[in-house]
Amino acid sequence: MKKYFQIFKISFQQEFSYRLNFIMWRVRNVLQIILTFFLWSSVFKNPQTEVFGYNQGKILTYVFGILLLRAIVFSARAVDVAGEISNGNITNFLLKPVSYFKYWATRDIASKVLNLVFSVFEITILFLILKPNLFLQTNLITLFAVLISLIFAIVLFFCLLFITNISAFWMPENGWAAQFLFIGIITDFLSGGVFPLDVLPFTLQRALYSTPFPYLLFFPLQVYLGKITGLEIVRGLVTSGAWVFILFVILKFIWARGLRRYSAEGR
Amino acid sequence: MSRNSFLAVFNQRAALLIFLIGKLLRFFFFFAFIILLLKGTKSLAGYNLNQTLLFFLTFNLIDTLSQFLFREVYRFRPLVVSGGFDLVLSKPVNALFRSLMGGADVIDLITIIPLSIATFYIAYLLNPSALQSIYYLALLINGLVIASAFHIFVLGMGIVTLEIDHTIMIYRDLTALGRFPIDIYKEPLRGIITFLIPIGIMLAFPAKAIMGLITPAGVIWSIVFGGLLLSLSFKFWKFALKKYTSASS
Amino acid sequence: MDRAIVVDRLVKNFEVTQKEKGLRGSIKSVFSPKKQTVHALRGISFAIQPGELVGFIGPNGAGKTTTLKILSGLLYPTSGFVQVLEHDPWEKKSEFLKQISLVMGQKNQLWWDLPAIETFELNKEIYEIPRRDYEKNLEELVTLLGVGKLLKTQVRRLSLGQRMRMELVAALLHKPKALFLDEPTIGLDLIGQQKVRDFIYEYNRKNNATVILTSHNMDDLTNLARRVIVIDDGRILFDGALEELTGRFAKEKIIKISLSKEVDVKAIGQIGEVKHVLFPEVILSVPRSVVAVAAAEILQNFPVDDLTIEEVPIEEIIKKVFKGELTK
Repeated sequence: MKKYFQIFKISFQQEFSYRLNFIMWRVRNVLQIILTFFLWSSVFKNPQTEVFGYNQGKILTYVFGILLLRAIVFSARAVDVAGEISNGNITNFLLKPVSYFKYWATRDIASKVLNLVFSVFEITILFLILKPNLFLQTNLITLFAVLISLIFAIVLFFCLLFITNISAFWMPENGWAAQFLFIGIITDFLSGGVFPLDVLPFTLQRALYSTPFPYLLFFPLQVYLGKITGLEIVRGLVTSGAWVFILFVILKFIWARGLRRYSAEGR
Repeated sequence: MSRNSFLAVFNQRAALLIFLIGKLLRFFFFFAFIILLLKGTKSLAGYNLNQTLLFFLTFNLIDTLSQFLFREVYRFRPLVVSGGFDLVLSKPVNALFRSLMGGADVIDLITIIPLSIATFYIAYLLNPSALQSIYYLALLINGLVIASAFHIFVLGMGIVTLEIDHTIMIYRDLTALGRFPIDIYKEPLRGIITFLIPIGIMLAFPAKAIMGLITPAGVIWSIVFGGLLLSLSFKFWKFALKKYTSASS
Repeated sequence: MDRAIVVDRLVKNFEVTQKEKGLRGSIKSVFSPKKQTVHALRGISFAIQPGELVGFIGPNGAGKTTTLKILSGLLYPTSGFVQVLEHDPWEKKSEFLKQISLVMGQKNQLWWDLPAIETFELNKEIYEIPRRDYEKNLEELVTLLGVGKLLKTQVRRLSLGQRMRMELVAALLHKPKALFLDEPTIGLDLIGQQKVRDFIYEYNRKNNATVILTSHNMDDLTNLARRVIVIDDGRILFDGALEELTGRFAKEKIIKISLSKEVDVKAIGQIGEVKHVLFPEVILSVPRSVVAVAAAEILQNFPVDDLTIEEVPIEEIIKKVFKGELTK
């Protein structure tokens, strides 16, 4: 256990040494939120407007919620795995008595903690400047369900990210391109990270719900906003949990194959 | 010069292809979103579906064109860091031209052509007058002029501070604010991004002009502004170059 | 444990996809990849006692690095038996990994943007080294390698030589019983190389650690390894003391002559191959079997002041091994 605390510590320190990069990353996140915020403010200029099942308070809460949830779910250091595989540095890790998964999971958590702190700070500032009326969930059971869904979301994203990065075993020069496409674009949109999935036609939404993506950001937020209730929450959590299991199995399988290939090519 | 960048290894091509697919997907996602959004709300900041689409398409057109022309700027930092820029300075080709436009990639034309067709079609659907269409084209080109000014400025920053990657990212994130009509932004933000960091003039004015929202004087002022910005960027480049060559390596 | 490392009839083949040049070749390689088998190791066998210091030498592609990777568990054998410290390396059991260390020139384990001491603390936890042992080992290693003042400096600000020494500290904090070094002195200047060599020698002596090192640098081998294993094209050509290497492989001997008068060098060239002429010195190489006869002939027919018979310098032999010019 001490192992992982040390990994957490050193990873945290590492993030600080990349100060400028980190600040830039936060600035980009905030700029994206500003665009979305004003977009929806404009749509809901009249506080009475109700569209796509949202009112002004709920949609703006969604926007702020995305800022927070991205920090919790999407912040990760495992984006570096593809690079480590390409340049062969992974060799050093394979020889250490520590699980590669647990190592990266710990580093991801360190990143999430740091990003979470900053996003809370940013939300506060934005709140003071923009003064939206936000929706506050008070039902404890609902909040608990949100928490569970977030834990699933974190694990889901870890699996998706890791699987994408391991593609570097088969295409060492292009691992990062796969990451851009799959994580940066497909996952970002289909998880509700750019716009709420409510705008999509109902059949499309239903189809998306059988994929793991909405459970990363959209589902937890919908539960928080009270737009998904009761049995639906349970159904969502079960599907989310099922995906955690499936992706984990896939991850382990692809990892074993990738490792074998890495050994076979003798890099 | 661009032919040299055409001769690429397959792997580089595969990466480029994946990038292309990514950009296409992103475009498609946003496009679908705008349609769905306006199906639900009927108007965005006073604009209807076709008008909003025009803003979006114009943004993409200018953005894609400037990426196509100025791709080399993204390779500038490693060039300076490795000392390769000195080599560029010693060659007879203008260093600015080489650093700015040396990397045009033919693959971008695959997107530019259909994008242009779509943009002009949507513009056509708005029934503009001949004069308004001319304004649109003029301000479109002006938008590219401003984009060049930005990129030249970025290059200058690259020489002076080596901090080019972050500058580019800021530029891209700021211009991304122009995906939607800038009327959605409240003052003072709207004023800032219209005039101070002239994203508004660059990305939104062409579409506004074709909708008759810009006066002829406004059009002329925008073009003058664009020209001024460009000459300013040239001055900055010269200044940066002087600083660079006078410092020892 | 009577043998630290045992390798018996080890075979390792790699399947490599062939890619032709150009765009068409690349497309072809995606749809119908042409595979070629590379026979990296063709059945090698050797055993190493605890505490031995062994040098692996051979030309590029001979199989040195492949052997080290198999011994540390990174690659799995195609066939044959491998045992290191009474473990099967491929299983990579925790207790096995805690006893070995593989150091490769270009693959750094130090965190780039932080001071080296942070990586050390991390390794302390990963290898579960008790605090007392950790501090003692750290002290020892840091003193031996002379990097005390650099512990708090960011790794990226260190020179290559300093970084290499820090890597060695990181690799040895857990006092591995078996140490595998792949080209440890590559890229270092002469002083840096000497420091690393001295360190390896001391470490081996003090801790009775089993050390295998591969190198291209002849000084590494002549000054360090008492036993050498020569590998070429996946086969072991020689396994024994360094001095024996000369006897086994050098087919020639060197005759050094000091002339009292100028002579026609071509005439001397009839007796043996002239390697070097700078009056009054002439150096020839002559086949081993006829060296006595050749020496006698020279003494008879030429105005010689002094004549000595010597072995071919080990460096020459090793150079030839690297070039693949030596066969059994």
